[in-house]
Amino acid sequence: MRFCPHAHRARLVLRAKGIRHEVININLRNKPEWFFTKHPFGQIPVLENSKCQLIYDSAIACEYLDDAYPGRKLYPCDPYERARQKMLLELFYKILGYQNTIFFGGDCISMIDYLFWPWFERLDVYGVADCVNHTPALQLWIAAMKQDPTVRALLIDKNIFLGFLDLYFQDNPDAFDYGLSC
Amino acid sequence: MSGGSARSLGKGEACSPRSAVTLRRVSGPGPGGRAAPERSHAGGSAPPGQVPEGLIRVYSMRFCPFAKRTLLVLKAKGIGHEVININLKNKPEWFFKKNPFGLVPVLENSQGQVIYESAITCEYLDEAYPGKKLLPDDPYEKACQKMVFELFSKVPSLLLSFLRRQNKEDCSGLKEDLHKEFSKLEEVLTNKKTTFFGGSSLSMIDYLIWPWFEWLVALELNEYVDHTPNLKLWMAAMMKDPAVSSLFIDPKAFRGFLDLYLQNNIEACDYGL
Repeated sequence: MRFCPHAHRARLVLRAKGIRHEVININLRNKPEWFFTKHPFGQIPVLENSKCQLIYDSAIACEYLDDAYPGRKLYPCDPYERARQKMLLELFYKILGYQNTIFFGGDCISMIDYLFWPWFERLDVYGVADCVNHTPALQLWIAAMKQDPTVRALLIDKNIFLGFLDLYFQDNPDAFDYGLSC
Repeated sequence: MSGGSARSLGKGEACSPRSAVTLRRVSGPGPGGRAAPERSHAGGSAPPGQVPEGLIRVYSMRFCPFAKRTLLVLKAKGIGHEVININLKNKPEWFFKKNPFGLVPVLENSQGQVIYESAITCEYLDEAYPGKKLLPDDPYEKACQKMVFELFSKVPSLLLSFLRRQNKEDCSGLKEDLHKEFSKLEEVLTNKKTTFFGGSSLSMIDYLIWPWFEWLVALELNEYVDHTPNLKLWMAAMMKDPAVSSLFIDPKAFRGFLDLYLQNNIEACDYGL
């Protein structure tokens, strides 16, 4: 599904390694029955090769692609460096899993939510949209944050931000003043 | 720093020789001199020194199933190692510098590199050390082992919840949930038509899931695999593995540990020593 961050992982790796592939998008709110023969719970992403081998769960699929296909290796070769990357991924899941209330600190917005938000606001500009089945807690959090008056007051305009980024990546010193009218 | 001397304290010196001696007694040598090497390191203990060249160190706990995974792989691959047990109910402060989550197992090598998360430690050992590879070379077979691992993921917390509630409340719901999870594993064995989860010989995935089934054996709860005959056969086959049998948990010690652990008793981790 075009907006699912988990499936996005697999598409990134496919592209980064230049692996020829075809994409079949699944309607996650109205799944075709046949899809359950590909994944027991109908989740994406799922890889299927010409030998009818199925691989799922996004991190497993990504590692499979790195192992199975030639070219640039995305995971490092050194066993310790590989382990470090996997430990970082676990850390990421722990952050997502720490959330058992709407906000990271409880039922009301607090410091930790503000400390996380700037990165998520920027990701949101690129359109990390709904993937309801996988990280509903995070989606709810993003929606709840956008309702907070403080967050709203400082929300960056998408077009201005993209304009800034454009100039910034060209090392243009005027990037920082993009969007200001003097 | 020696305790109990008559030396007068100078300006700015704190008076604490007695407390230092007390701390040493809690976590250090018992009467008669040398500590049992298996005795766990607890709050107030001194941090261990550097890992000797040629060995890898594992921070563990005698009854921790997650750490058991790492110990099994170390044994199966014949990797020279030393074990430092941690008192998980009274953790030493220095341990959080090894793993900020304060959990075992943790690997530390002589270069000071630290690896944690049990499955990651096992994969690291397989990649970094020579000898028999426990994970398959074939990318798809390797992915299959990881998919089975995901299938198993609900068992640890279910089993622990079940053990907590046994004899206390009605745990028929939990029993059913456990059966459901075991059936998923049974299906894998049925479809593969092999003894082990990775094929006809024992491999990484078998070691990764074994410690919880070892609990079933130690607690005489084998009836839980009555409905899953292939799983039962797998357990019997696992018991014959040299690494599994040499590290098999002592049932009496385990029961003693479990009782104390579920009561949050800080003596739990050293039960039987």
